[in-house]
Amino acid sequence: MTELIALTMKIFPINLPERMFLVLALTAIVGAGSCAPRPLYRTPLPSTTAASPSSSASSPKISPAPPPPPVQEPARTPFPQEAKIREQNLKTKDLTTSPAPKETVKPSTGVTPEANTAPLPDDGSLLAKITPGTSPQRAASLRLTEEGKKLLEAGDPAKALSRLEKTIVIDSTNPYGYFYLAKSHYRLGRYKESLSFLDVAESRLSGEPFWLAEVYALRGENFRALGMLDKAEASYAQALRLNSGNRTATDAVARLQEPSQPTSR
Amino acid sequence: MKRPKLRIFSILFVSLLIVTSSGIVFGSWYLKRLEETVTAKFEGPKWRFPSKIYSDSYLLYSGINLRSDDLLEKLRRLGYHETQSPPKARGEYHFQPSRGLLDIYLNDFAYPTEQFKGFPVRVSLQGTVITKIENSATGQEVFSLELEPELITGLYDRVWKERRVVPLSEVPPIVVKAILAIEDERFYNHHGIDPVSVMRAVWVNLRSGGVVQGGSTLTQQLMKNFFLSDERKLSRKVKEGIMALIAERKYSKDEILENYLNEIYLGQKGSQGIFGIWEASQFYFSKPLSDLTVGEVALLAGLVRAPNKLSPYRSLEAATKRRNVVLTKMLDDKVITRKQYDLAVRESLPHRELIKVTNDAPYYVDYLRRELAENYSNEVLTAEGLRIFTSMDLQLQRIAEKSLVEGLKKLEASYPALRRQGEEDNLEGAIVVLRPQTGEIKAMVGGRSYQKSQFNRVFQAKRQPGSIFKPFVYLAALMSGGEGGKKFTPATMVEDSPFRWSYDGQEWEPGNYNDEYFGTVTFRRALEKSLNSATARIARDVGIKRVRDVAHRLGIQSSLPAVPSLALGAAEVTPLEVAVAFSTLANNGVRTRPLAVKQVMNPDSRVLEKRDVRVEKVLTPQLAFIMNYLLKGVLDRGTADVARRWGFTRPAAGKTGTTNDYKDAWFVGYTPDLLAVVWVGFDNKAKLGLSGAQAALPIWTEFMKRATASTPITDFVPPPGVKIVEIDPLSGQLATPNCSYVLREAFLEGDEPTTTCPLHPGTPQQVSKLD
Repeated sequence: MTELIALTMKIFPINLPERMFLVLALTAIVGAGSCAPRPLYRTPLPSTTAASPSSSASSPKISPAPPPPPVQEPARTPFPQEAKIREQNLKTKDLTTSPAPKETVKPSTGVTPEANTAPLPDDGSLLAKITPGTSPQRAASLRLTEEGKKLLEAGDPAKALSRLEKTIVIDSTNPYGYFYLAKSHYRLGRYKESLSFLDVAESRLSGEPFWLAEVYALRGENFRALGMLDKAEASYAQALRLNSGNRTATDAVARLQEPSQPTSR
Repeated sequence: MKRPKLRIFSILFVSLLIVTSSGIVFGSWYLKRLEETVTAKFEGPKWRFPSKIYSDSYLLYSGINLRSDDLLEKLRRLGYHETQSPPKARGEYHFQPSRGLLDIYLNDFAYPTEQFKGFPVRVSLQGTVITKIENSATGQEVFSLELEPELITGLYDRVWKERRVVPLSEVPPIVVKAILAIEDERFYNHHGIDPVSVMRAVWVNLRSGGVVQGGSTLTQQLMKNFFLSDERKLSRKVKEGIMALIAERKYSKDEILENYLNEIYLGQKGSQGIFGIWEASQFYFSKPLSDLTVGEVALLAGLVRAPNKLSPYRSLEAATKRRNVVLTKMLDDKVITRKQYDLAVRESLPHRELIKVTNDAPYYVDYLRRELAENYSNEVLTAEGLRIFTSMDLQLQRIAEKSLVEGLKKLEASYPALRRQGEEDNLEGAIVVLRPQTGEIKAMVGGRSYQKSQFNRVFQAKRQPGSIFKPFVYLAALMSGGEGGKKFTPATMVEDSPFRWSYDGQEWEPGNYNDEYFGTVTFRRALEKSLNSATARIARDVGIKRVRDVAHRLGIQSSLPAVPSLALGAAEVTPLEVAVAFSTLANNGVRTRPLAVKQVMNPDSRVLEKRDVRVEKVLTPQLAFIMNYLLKGVLDRGTADVARRWGFTRPAAGKTGTTNDYKDAWFVGYTPDLLAVVWVGFDNKAKLGLSGAQAALPIWTEFMKRATASTPITDFVPPPGVKIVEIDPLSGQLATPNCSYVLREAFLEGDEPTTTCPLHPGTPQQVSKLD
């Protein structure tokens, strides 16, 4: 444990309060991980918890997500649904090795994610959003966001942060910049900051289910890292309701079945 | 006869013995002391490296709107020199206005996250827009480019010394030879003092009747430089001589030479002193030592004698003359060949202008010092050469300083009652500028003259906000509604008439300005016109505690008394808090933390500290938009509408602030990209007698006009869930074609009026619903 702390402190040159937080967060993860894996489904009976998306926003909150098309819930037998899942999974880009379990954490919604929305087409490319009609601020902001994203993928969240902070200066309406800032903070172990940035990203997105799903899924990751597993599950469910192909959520949910390992996304 | 003589002799002898022995004792003690001084200088921490404070970097991208003048000004401030042909070396630029082309050879820069290697770029401009940026070397398009941060100031102890230490092995031999040739040709032969050159100097000086030539060796000069004070007394010269001898005994020629080359004073850049040849090479030629030509080397060597008098910045003629003297000496001493000499003599000195380093944002620097003091001692800051990167925008800082100083002068000119005799208790002001999206403090001016008063009114002065507090009341009303579930919208009719508010056994009767009451008005109108009674009534309806909570939530940190008069700003806050709170509105309900210090690096380029942008969503974007939409009215129709007539026409929201006793005048105003708060008043709480619109607004307007010149016009974007409809402000209902005055109003979806105006009946046209 102490080696972990020492290693972390070496990798991340951060100041004292953040360091302490990182240590606490790591402790939380390790602690959560050493607990016995909790079953995903509590009981076959529907729980009475509300299906509203968990968020730390203040009231009144206006949900921008388009409602998923209503679907009859099929009779509850595990096998046919699992078969359905498998088919759905084959349609998504990346196959999970184990069947993705159903997201019936809140079965009272009466909605099964896979049956709702087919996986959305990948809208992840930022450069593709630059058209001749895009304002120069937005275009510059998107390009910088892309650079930040690449830095993040290359494993340099600190550098990504510096780059991404510029994107919101140039164009504060660019929600993707906020999303990747959230991701950078997440990678640096700053889960609370990450959640704050996700709130902002969510409020600046309008009608983009692919990205909203990304927001919810990353929110789930943060909650999980903070040990708030209920909220994490709810967020993943929310993500998958919008986009059953959301990789973060599907991976995370699959991992919840296995003994937990630190996420690599 | 012999005895008295013997006694006299013995007395004399003994006294002589005493004198001699005490002389020896004192002498050796003195020598020991000098030796300690020399050792301490050579072996102890020799040099202090003041930490440097940098402004924010400046991002250029294709499509950005800016004035080419501003960009050129920025390049000059950064130390770039204009050339007449495309630049060939770092630190040069070439502007062709007729072709709209700006070629810049970027400097290297060590950023916190990366080492940037400068390369040449070509910037294409069309009017005020950058249409393309290209890497001139590769031809590749560059989409965004960061211009390095500007050095604001150094945190130095007493004197600002700029120096980069080079080991002797990295100094090109010709540089050493040139300096030795002109300053101390027998350096390797003497032992610290050179009698030959001393005698020659005496001879020459006697002949010319003044001190024309020095006879000091390099070692002596080094000793002289080790002392800061420059007393040219004989006793000092003797002391230097003895120390030189000591130094030569203890240390090798190479050690002395290395120290010398790094110690010598070679010029002045404003308040910065240039020390050491590495720094000089950069200062005069923007080149590393290894790239210097023979002529340039000779110029540097020649400067040692009198760096300011012989500076090429001061007189090309004097500099050239001196250089040629050095070249001749180098030729005589066979340091260079005849051919080299001929070439070097023909080299023309680059004509450069000395960049004047103007005053260095002292109030902002003070604020930075405070932030830094949390983690770094003064000793570390003034000696260890940290590099501190900040949010400051030097251009905005200058504009802010100018606007404040000129604005206050204008007020004194227009209102004689504000004038004061002498230096005490003068009219004062403060201005702070934030970028709402990130919380970065772009500019901060804590008073009209740092020389006179270092008190920084931006964050140290707690003053009454007065009516600038009112928006919190209206926001609380929109958020929580009133008693009995009463809902407030911008079109809700409210009452503006005298009333009595009983609270906690006390009674308060708020009065309007000029005792003028407007009766029934819209929620919006009450805010635009800053009506006291209406505001107080709303506050009573909503509950003063809710108002207080909203203020805290948005960013006011000072404690606020939950009493009725809080609604009209009876509390004490700083301009910085006000800025933070309103920037939450400007930033769509997302609160940020004020950011001044961004990164701290040590000289080895290790990041010691990074302060990130922090965000917190405290308000829904819908409510934030509605507040901004309301506050736009203050500028368009309300107490600040005169700003429009003064030439500030951009979409912006704001609020005037005046206190009941006319002791404080405020204005806070913002676009989606820039927010500024201005405060005007007297430190001793003398009566100002002016409203926010009269005293603070002119300064704000002047600042914003200059600060936003030729930047793209941005407006607040309504988020989903907001409906903008046309209403008649007299009735608060949907406008009909018969309504004489129609206003666009923003509502939360579902709150918009559904009935048409009863005052001017008619069927409304299909109102254009914008979203």
